[in-house]
Amino acid sequence: MDSLTLIREFLDSRLGVAPEKVLPDALLNDLGVDSLMLVELMFEFEDRFNVTIDNSSSAPTTVGGLASFMDRIRGEQS
Amino acid sequence: MGRRRVAITGLGLVSPYGGDLEDFFGRLVAGESAVRYLQTSDVPVPLAVPFVSCPDFDADISLGRPLAGMMDRFAQLGTSAAFQAWSDAGLPRASSEESRERWGVSWGSAMGGTFAVEKAYRDLWQRGRERISPMSVVLAMSNAANAHISIQLELGGVSINHSVACASAAIAIGEAFCRVRSGESPLMLAGGSEAPQAYGVVRAWEALRVMASSDEHNCSRACRPFNADRSGLALGEGGSALVLEDWDHAVARGARIHCEMVGYGTSCDHSHIVRPEMGGQVRAMEAALADARLAPDEIGYVNAHGTATIEGDQIEISALQQVFGEYAANLPVSATKSMHGHQLGAAGAIEAIVTVLALREKAIPPTAHLDNIDAACLGVDHVAAGRHVRGLSAALSNSFAFGGSNAVLAFRAVA
Repeated sequence: MDSLTLIREFLDSRLGVAPEKVLPDALLNDLGVDSLMLVELMFEFEDRFNVTIDNSSSAPTTVGGLASFMDRIRGEQS
Repeated sequence: MGRRRVAITGLGLVSPYGGDLEDFFGRLVAGESAVRYLQTSDVPVPLAVPFVSCPDFDADISLGRPLAGMMDRFAQLGTSAAFQAWSDAGLPRASSEESRERWGVSWGSAMGGTFAVEKAYRDLWQRGRERISPMSVVLAMSNAANAHISIQLELGGVSINHSVACASAAIAIGEAFCRVRSGESPLMLAGGSEAPQAYGVVRAWEALRVMASSDEHNCSRACRPFNADRSGLALGEGGSALVLEDWDHAVARGARIHCEMVGYGTSCDHSHIVRPEMGGQVRAMEAALADARLAPDEIGYVNAHGTATIEGDQIEISALQQVFGEYAANLPVSATKSMHGHQLGAAGAIEAIVTVLALREKAIPPTAHLDNIDAACLGVDHVAAGRHVRGLSAALSNSFAFGGSNAVLAFRAVA
């Protein structure tokens, strides 16, 4: 599974956001992802891909930014 | 500021029968039990306990998935009930021209988010994980229901959860009543919710040996308050809410008034952590009557705490006899937990609604399965079959908790 698919699945199951609305340019905040939900999403990401995110990492604001962030973490820790 | 009159203008609940308020009350008056076996999956050892579930409740449909996902089941049940009560009161979801900065929520839940707690422990202890979901705290915290309700309805006054075991919601309603009557708040949403079917919680209650024994032939009859062969309580989940409103405020906006709340009495047994004591119950009932300025013989119905435990039922009857004296023999009493189960911290709210509807509909629901009254529970007018009472004008609802806390609510019909 790629990072964008994980984000789409998460937002569909947790917030009922249709996958076609989860586009790279979309702002996470506009999709209903507040700070708490972002932490939960990161937790899910760590769990699924068996990686660890440094707590000091700055949070992305767009879907594309988040997917790139996840891809980079996976690349570094694979 | 003097005593303000307090109107009940909104009622809402998640019914174990799946229907609306009228359907719920009609089934109670007909003596229909909602007790079934608790259905569980993914547990180490299957349970076989009588339980009252709300199987038709779908939080995603009732609240929408984003909101439902932020809550454990007790908060979902409570918020859904609150929305229904709000709608029943004819109030818009979003704040309109009138400020809601002094409107508040007074809630009751004894257990809080038990599913989140159980899942966290399973992840840590059973699966050996080092971390748990970041949502764990906000799902599990006992004030989650009142917090979500305040946020959703934009209520800026007090938002508080009372965790007083089986008296939680009754105390929540009583404390809300005091705030409206004093003029501190013109409108309070009060109630309670509980979802005690997490595996560890049910096992803990089993260990106390107060749960009704399962009857393989007819589980719906498992909880038999005041009956000679009673064996204990049936736990249940649920959420119930009432809108308490300054009488003049309600009249000014043309609200329908279900009944008037007129009294609240509370006390502590101060004797034992679980064994009830008659004196404390007497003090709570007498305090409620005095607060309501009602004479004992003006009470036409008591919704008893009546959990169907051996000791608890007979102590409550003794307390009723003490308070009501000679009139006790003519005092209609029923324990509706026989049908909707014991919702622990939410029990006082569903029973307050039953009491309000009894006054409004002039109908008293029975103690179901009461076909052989225990000699130790004689002395009141046990309502064993639904009864219509044309002149019913005032009623009490009793809630008595582990820890010895007692709460009694008094209501009066609209003239």
